[in-house]
Amino acid sequence: MLEVKNLCKYFGGIHAVEDCSFKVEKGSITALIGPNGAGKTTAFNCISRTMVPTKGEVWLDGERIDRLRPHKITAKGLSRTFQISRNLADMTVLENVICQSRINGWRDLFKPAMSPQEIDKAMGILDFLNITRIAYEDGSNLSYGQKKLMDLAALLMSDPKIILLDEPAGGVNPTLLEEIVGHIRKLNEQGMTVLIVEHNMELIMRLSQRVVVMAAGTVIAEGSPEEVQKDPAVLDAYLGGAMEDAA
Amino acid sequence: MAQTYENTDEILAARRAYNDTLAQAHDARRATWFPLLIVALLMLVPALQFVGNYNYVIHLMLYTLMYVTMAAGWNILGGYTGYISLGHSVFFAVGGYFAGMIFARLGISTIIMAPVAGLVCAALGYLIGLITLRVRGPSFIISSLALVMIFRILFEKWQFIGGAAGLSLPINDLSVQWAKLPYYYAFLAMAVFGVWASYRVRHSKFGLGLRAISKDEVKAESAGIDTRRYKVLAFAMSAFLFGAAGAVWGEYLTYVRPNIFIHILYFSVWPALMCILGGKGTIAGPVVGAVLIVAFNEFFVATLGSSTIHILVTGMIMALTLMFFPLGLVGTLAKHRRLPRILNWD
Ligand SMILES: Nc1ncnc2c1ncn2[C@@H]1O[C@H](COP(=O)(O)OP(=O)(O)OP(=O)(O)O)[C@@H](O)[C@H]1O
Ligand SMILES: [Mg+2]
Repeated sequence: MLEVKNLCKYFGGIHAVEDCSFKVEKGSITALIGPNGAGKTTAFNCISRTMVPTKGEVWLDGERIDRLRPHKITAKGLSRTFQISRNLADMTVLENVICQSRINGWRDLFKPAMSPQEIDKAMGILDFLNITRIAYEDGSNLSYGQKKLMDLAALLMSDPKIILLDEPAGGVNPTLLEEIVGHIRKLNEQGMTVLIVEHNMELIMRLSQRVVVMAAGTVIAEGSPEEVQKDPAVLDAYLGGAMEDAA
Repeated sequence: MAQTYENTDEILAARRAYNDTLAQAHDARRATWFPLLIVALLMLVPALQFVGNYNYVIHLMLYTLMYVTMAAGWNILGGYTGYISLGHSVFFAVGGYFAGMIFARLGISTIIMAPVAGLVCAALGYLIGLITLRVRGPSFIISSLALVMIFRILFEKWQFIGGAAGLSLPINDLSVQWAKLPYYYAFLAMAVFGVWASYRVRHSKFGLGLRAISKDEVKAESAGIDTRRYKVLAFAMSAFLFGAAGAVWGEYLTYVRPNIFIHILYFSVWPALMCILGGKGTIAGPVVGAVLIVAFNEFFVATLGSSTIHILVTGMIMALTLMFFPLGLVGTLAKHRRLPRILNWD
């Protein structure tokens, strides 16, 4: 469904992503892991074109998308969250979410900001995530965990086919973590393709069918969670630390 | 332990009550009748001429209405979108010159040409926006100032439109008593249109997108908003209102001249200040700001004389007000839920 081919992103002399290639199968939950600074977020940024890649190609459903502008990519059905939540201050959670609903052409621009149908849909999503009670709260007044949930809600508003989640459960408490895992699994059961960056190995093992391991900007291993965990190259990349602890 | 449970219940109850107030604040009905009432009263003001000579009052109101038009236009770009432009006097001048030239050559009243002048400025704004809206923050402000300098030189050197001396325009043949009326109603119509347009934008998908852009452009982009198109369109809309206002102002003054029309303080900075003083991004803010700044200025001109002192005093009052009302009068009051119903036009 999503295919990244020889993606490169250089910041001056820093090769944040170097010749990175991997595939995400339709309907799967694929995890992208790697030590801090491996280039996972940068790869996400290049796929969603928040950053312009230096080289390489990104294909979505047989269509090349790395030249499209970000909103076009979202319209094609690829949505992403940010590692550090970016939410819109002075706008309610509801507005934050509805902001992300699809707009088709010029005519939609002057329709009411929030139609009753959209409000229903947004409330449905907030209900799915159990956060209807914060619907009218200001987007910037939320707790860290609530922000993560709001990100997820906003993401779903655009009816994506594939979602890229950058540490959706990073730094949240264990209960919320379980909740988020539940949500992701439920979405996946409904047919959503998921690409997820996560440092919590135990979570990855439970959630994903495929794992792509990045280190120093390139993919060093790919396979089922079990295979990857035994891969010496991966153990090496993590300096033998995190992986063994989690296993 | 029971104690603790009771406490949590209380906390949860308080939380629920708080959420309810949020939902209610969201549902609070706006006072649409108030601006409509003001418009009705404003339509009647010229009747004063039957009982005496109120030309000065009419002039002041007309002047205020022109600023309402511009401040409402500035609000679309500066308030909703968050791009602070100090170059909009360019559109005021282009509108003035465009309609003025047609008036001088073909005799078509600028009041009729105002919408066309607005469209010309919108088109110009669209093109300029494609270039300047690529940068934001201080860089954008500087680019807008550069625009003023470029156009000032262009207008002063272009002999076809009168160069630095400008053009004088024919005076209408109404008696002194009624001479201001056509312009008064023209500016009233424009101010109403401007406020209505900013209201419509505020409540459209477009307006929601603009607000998203002002908060976080990267996020807005990834949310599926065509940020470039939105910004340029907002720029064009605000240019439209400046152009239309400039068009009629030329005929009212009976001349167009570069140093008057591209005046950076009066036609770039003032509309911006009015919008900021009243409350960026609110509907009533630009109106309140325009009324206050024109009123203060007029008051200090009357009491302190037409030296530059009145500008100083008006500026100091602005600075003081913003210390206590950082989001502008309407914006700050609304945030603290202290806004009188009649000023809630959102
Ligand atoms: N805007 C930027 N300018 C310069 N260098 C950058 C920029 N963004 C990222 N980098 C560099 O690129 C490398 C990869 O960063 P990236 O954020 O992609 O890592 P990551 O895998 O997401 O790490 P983490 O697990 O900590 O989130 C880092 O060395 C970082 O310093
Ligand atoms: Mg990262």
